[in-house]
Amino acid sequence: MSETFDAFRLPRGVTAGEHATFTARQLTCRYPLPTQPLLRDVAVALRSAGRALARRPVADIIAVLDDAAARLADRQDPVRRQAQRLVPAATGYSPAMADLVIQRMSDDWRAPALRRLLDAELPDPAALDGFVPAGPGRRTHACGPDLSFHVFAGNVPGVAVTSLVRSLLVKAPALAKLASGEPVLPVLFAQAVAAVDPAIGDALAVTYWPGGSADAEATAMLEADLVVVYGGEEAESAIRQRARPGQRLVTHGPRFSVGLIDADALAQDPVALARAVARAVAIFDQHGCVSPHSVWIEDPGRAHSHAFAEQLADAMAAVERELPRGTISPGEASLIHQERGAAEMRGHAGNGPRVLAGPGTSWTVVLDPEPGFRPSCLNRLVHLRPVDRLEDALDQLAPHRRYLQSVALAVNGARMDQIGHRLARLGATRITTFQRLPWPPPEWHHDGAGPLNELLRWVDLEE
Amino acid sequence: MLDPEGQALGDELAALFARGADATLEDDAFHRLARRVFRYNFQRVPAYAAYCRGRGRDAETVHLWTDIPAVPTAAFKDMVLLAEGADAERVFRTSGTTRGPERRGEHHVADLSLYRAALRPTFQAFLLADGARLHCFSLVPAATVTPESSLAFMIDDVQDHFGQPGSRTFAREDGIDFTGLDTAVSAAGADGRPVMLLGTSAAFIHWLDRLAAGGTRHELPEGSRLMDTGGFKGGGREVAPEALRQAYRDRLGLPPHRCVNEYGMTEMLSQLYDTALRDHHQGRSRPRRKAGPPWVRSVAVDPETLEPLPTGRSGLLRHLDLANIGSVAAIQTEDVGSVDEYGLMVEGRVTGAPPRGCSIAMDLLLGGGP
Repeated sequence: MSETFDAFRLPRGVTAGEHATFTARQLTCRYPLPTQPLLRDVAVALRSAGRALARRPVADIIAVLDDAAARLADRQDPVRRQAQRLVPAATGYSPAMADLVIQRMSDDWRAPALRRLLDAELPDPAALDGFVPAGPGRRTHACGPDLSFHVFAGNVPGVAVTSLVRSLLVKAPALAKLASGEPVLPVLFAQAVAAVDPAIGDALAVTYWPGGSADAEATAMLEADLVVVYGGEEAESAIRQRARPGQRLVTHGPRFSVGLIDADALAQDPVALARAVARAVAIFDQHGCVSPHSVWIEDPGRAHSHAFAEQLADAMAAVERELPRGTISPGEASLIHQERGAAEMRGHAGNGPRVLAGPGTSWTVVLDPEPGFRPSCLNRLVHLRPVDRLEDALDQLAPHRRYLQSVALAVNGARMDQIGHRLARLGATRITTFQRLPWPPPEWHHDGAGPLNELLRWVDLEE
Repeated sequence: MLDPEGQALGDELAALFARGADATLEDDAFHRLARRVFRYNFQRVPAYAAYCRGRGRDAETVHLWTDIPAVPTAAFKDMVLLAEGADAERVFRTSGTTRGPERRGEHHVADLSLYRAALRPTFQAFLLADGARLHCFSLVPAATVTPESSLAFMIDDVQDHFGQPGSRTFAREDGIDFTGLDTAVSAAGADGRPVMLLGTSAAFIHWLDRLAAGGTRHELPEGSRLMDTGGFKGGGREVAPEALRQAYRDRLGLPPHRCVNEYGMTEMLSQLYDTALRDHHQGRSRPRRKAGPPWVRSVAVDPETLEPLPTGRSGLLRHLDLANIGSVAAIQTEDVGSVDEYGLMVEGRVTGAPPRGCSIAMDLLLGGGP
């Protein structure tokens, strides 16, 4: 792609000095050098915008966010068209995947979703605007930080925008450092917000700098009251080390998700189930925290495993036609071939794995009888793990519980509670269906906590 | 030890190796030998035979070496790949990651004499084409200390076979004796005695950093040379090959053509080397590549389809090492690179799925605990 994308949007009145470029796959991106003077100017502008934002009713903010999101949701709108062009270039996603992800995620930033989020987390959303009754003799007011610093990771489009939306809902101006993997949506969204309401737009400063830019990070950390970090443990550690006593940290570290299917569900409608599993694996090309790496199937006697593996393979092929897997790097392709080949070799050595695969590296199902859990190398490689009892899956997951997030459950009603309890004790934070697995509702307890409440400071007025 | 048929084939191969790494092995001859080694692998490693049959390949349908199905290096982590009827004389293991107990690749070597027969002429051709007999200073632990390391085995053998008495290692239990190394290198410099340095790039980087920190340098005598291996990571950072060679020049007085990077892996008995020093000794001026002995051939394959790519195109590297008769000769690596008329260019080694989002990084989960 010959164009250069400006991977930043700064508040009005802030001028950047020199720029540099980085490449997000096919997209050349420009960013302002994160000098101390620039970051300080940004912080000053953000705080000023924040003071104005504090006086705006949250209903206004919802309306502005809704307008901006509507533009992204409208396939004819220039903002959506630009996103549709640039997101695949930056992420490698197929156009069909980019379209689906942008469409579904923009729903989360429309007014109905935002109101649901507020209602779920605040007894009275008006608490964001002022003191509201909270029991006899007490009123309470929910306040966001004066300035939040967001550090984004990777390339699942939309995750960063959701973080910014949450920030604005609690009236916290945000300085966001983009990930090189997906700089497009957050910038376009910030621009769309600014176009609808420049004053609210000034509360968003979105930019990029290379990871490990110690000075920039230090300055941003100094200025912020609250830091939201996405990504790997190294990124999180680096931020923790810089944090001041009392400085709040909201972390969304590395996670994986899984699926569990009991014997009843397997018998009931395996084809429909296979379709749901395949879609859950395919969406985000399996790169989301919500993406399933392994699916356990309860199959004592192993009578159904092979058939289900084949049904899943058919479903993976079908979903590939509808939502093609994106382009991946040689290294990522290599991991898939290594996993496939090693599994095949093990398979031939005895009662080992069976590999079903699509053309090239487009999709892979590894039916693996060996107990245990290993993460997938992703890009649509899923492990199908037969067990005698579904509870055995929980034992296999236990060593990795720290990173477990969502679990798709296809089990009969009576067992759902029981397994749900055990999953909760294991550390899962979301138990859902395969259909809903890729699309957590805006009001979900993201990694176990209310995403708005994590940003809020409640102030009590006792009369 | 291999079974009698394997021994016979091994003896033939050893005779081929003895002709040296500069000998030519014409295409026809190579394909023929490749087919024989393949047939032996196919007959002796049942899992491999099934793997090949699954791809429609057996002794009848394999003609060119590129027809031979390549086993991914990952398979060496999951199972023992050793010819039936053979006993392993030694088991080499890949080094684990720093994160923790990951499954390690194992190469069960039936016949160490074949390993020696392969490594010696190749080392000679790429490091000692001028016939020099040098004092060797190694930064790699002795094989007795790390018996699982194929690199340690190789370095020990090179020192024993090619080195002057007094060749030794400076690797100690608690690290590398850099002070001792400095002393030894200075002494050699004072005597005008050229030396050969052998070690991992990571270890050399540590040493160079120390020299830089102390503001010191060595001026190695004319004829000295260095072999490094492994990724260019050390001191917690990655150093590009060119930058490393610049540092070898700055701190050790070694010109780039005397710095030879070795490309090998636990799964392969043979090695490839930078061509710079051999070219220099042969009076040739060519782009720096990696090349190996005539009994190893390499191709870059398409990352999606694993089909061989045209010359010069970048892909995943696959090798056929005839010395691997005791296991599997055709290996699909995780290395990205290209092959042209001058040899290989290795661009990098894949070590794990780079985390691309809030999803988990593989090596984090594999290495970390609850």
